[in-house]
Amino acid sequence: MIGTLRMYGVFTRKSFQRAAAYRFDAWTRILGNVIMLFLWGVIWYALYRGKGSVENVTFHSMLSYILISQALQGIHGAGTPLWEIQERVRTGDIAMEMLRPYDYPLRMLFTDLGSILFYFLTAILPIYTIIFLVFKPIMPSTFSQGALFIVSVILGYLIRYSIELTFGLFTFWLVETGGVEDVFYFSISLFSGSVVPLWFFPNWLEHVALYLPFQGIYFVPNSIFVGQLSGHALWAGLFTQVLWLVLCYALLRFVWVKASKRIVVQGG
Amino acid sequence: MLKSWLRGMRMYFYMIGVSIRTQLQYRYAFVMNILGWAMTYAGTAITMWVLLYSFGAIGGWGFWEVLFLFALSVLSWGVCVVFFFHFRTLDQFIVQGTFDRFLVRPIHPFFHYMSMKFDVGAFGQFLFSIAAVALAYNKLNLHWYMGQWLVFFGAVVGGTLIQGGLIIAISALAFWTTRSEQVYWVVMWPAKSLMNYPLSIYPKVVQLLVTFVLPFAFVNYLPSLILLGKTSDSYPAYLGLFSILVGIIFFWLCFQFWMLGLNRYKSAGS
Repeated sequence: MIGTLRMYGVFTRKSFQRAAAYRFDAWTRILGNVIMLFLWGVIWYALYRGKGSVENVTFHSMLSYILISQALQGIHGAGTPLWEIQERVRTGDIAMEMLRPYDYPLRMLFTDLGSILFYFLTAILPIYTIIFLVFKPIMPSTFSQGALFIVSVILGYLIRYSIELTFGLFTFWLVETGGVEDVFYFSISLFSGSVVPLWFFPNWLEHVALYLPFQGIYFVPNSIFVGQLSGHALWAGLFTQVLWLVLCYALLRFVWVKASKRIVVQGG
Repeated sequence: MLKSWLRGMRMYFYMIGVSIRTQLQYRYAFVMNILGWAMTYAGTAITMWVLLYSFGAIGGWGFWEVLFLFALSVLSWGVCVVFFFHFRTLDQFIVQGTFDRFLVRPIHPFFHYMSMKFDVGAFGQFLFSIAAVALAYNKLNLHWYMGQWLVFFGAVVGGTLIQGGLIIAISALAFWTTRSEQVYWVVMWPAKSLMNYPLSIYPKVVQLLVTFVLPFAFVNYLPSLILLGKTSDSYPAYLGLFSILVGIIFFWLCFQFWMLGLNRYKSAGS
């Protein structure tokens, strides 16, 4: 058990070192992230001009929501992107992974952890500390709220990871994956509440979103952070996250087992 | 001079013919690529709709007006994708050393690289943008006279040159840094999404930046002022007439930048 953990730990360390070697990637990525933050900050500012609060949400809450959402999106974005997983399946590199004595989905998780850690420590943390000091967003006021926020972030991360890897593994059946990734990116960007919180959705669409796993990725942790989810609703939110994580992870394992059995490597 | 131009043109059409046939080989990929792009843009449009559902308007622009603004930029972006989108992957050729082949053939390297691909996937952009423009035109009860149609086509041509120029400039970065695709996706793509919304909502610094440095304002916002009959506090409406002119100048500057990088290029490896 300890030995296994240590082995996966090596993947984390190596990927941390790799990320450090390619620092340029981290800088460009944080630049893009801050541009997006600026874009959404301005959009929400313009939408709120002349309005006090909409749907019981003030501009200050909304700004806080966008700040934490962009920080989380930065963290999520430092992992292995969908197209890279697809590329590995398409080129057959994944066959080499299957020969090795580790569990590929877990290996990916630990590898991503390394690059995310590097990105978080060198880019997200310093930049967002400054941004938070300047804009003074609403922050969790009690220790338990902060702790539950962290738990929710981790759950959200694991949900996104399970879904993204599952979508990546669909490449085994499709070979050509245009379309699949577009469905994924669209769902991730709208239904997760990454830029527009579910409060502002039309009722019917909000219901659709609430029945999908994507809200667990950003919407639940963001809402806990800005204090829009509290008491019973907070626990209900966490519970749905756990439920979706179990379901998505089960689906991932199922697809992985099926995929391992029908590997088609193109070429020699 | 004329003869070499004609020869170049003939070669260009021959090569893009090959490129189109290559892309048509994989039917499923071809169709999904087109549908995928159309869906991506439709997704952004849906996000806009959701955003404006509770709020009504942004900077005085309603949903259909914002949709028109967005679709106008996607339309010229589509044309730009057809001709220039593959410039973003210039870095791969430089890193792998395969760029050298563009230098040793009897055709201008820029032209040669450009003719490598004629991206038919851009029909996805056309599919979305033409449908969206038509829908907005209807919903907003627009009736353009001849001059406005000229402004519209001017915006498409100018927008193509401005956005094409920018991709070329970004690709040229690869000559110095051996990176271009990364820069495109993580910096250019977010920066480009700034122009999906009316520029009047941004701080003055950004407005000046996208007018005089990276002239995105001429791609969709300024022509849209004329086309939708809107006014702006910071811009006189007639500026929208200059899209093509700005496009030509900007594209020329970006081309010069690319040539500067090319002259500096030393092949990878030993």
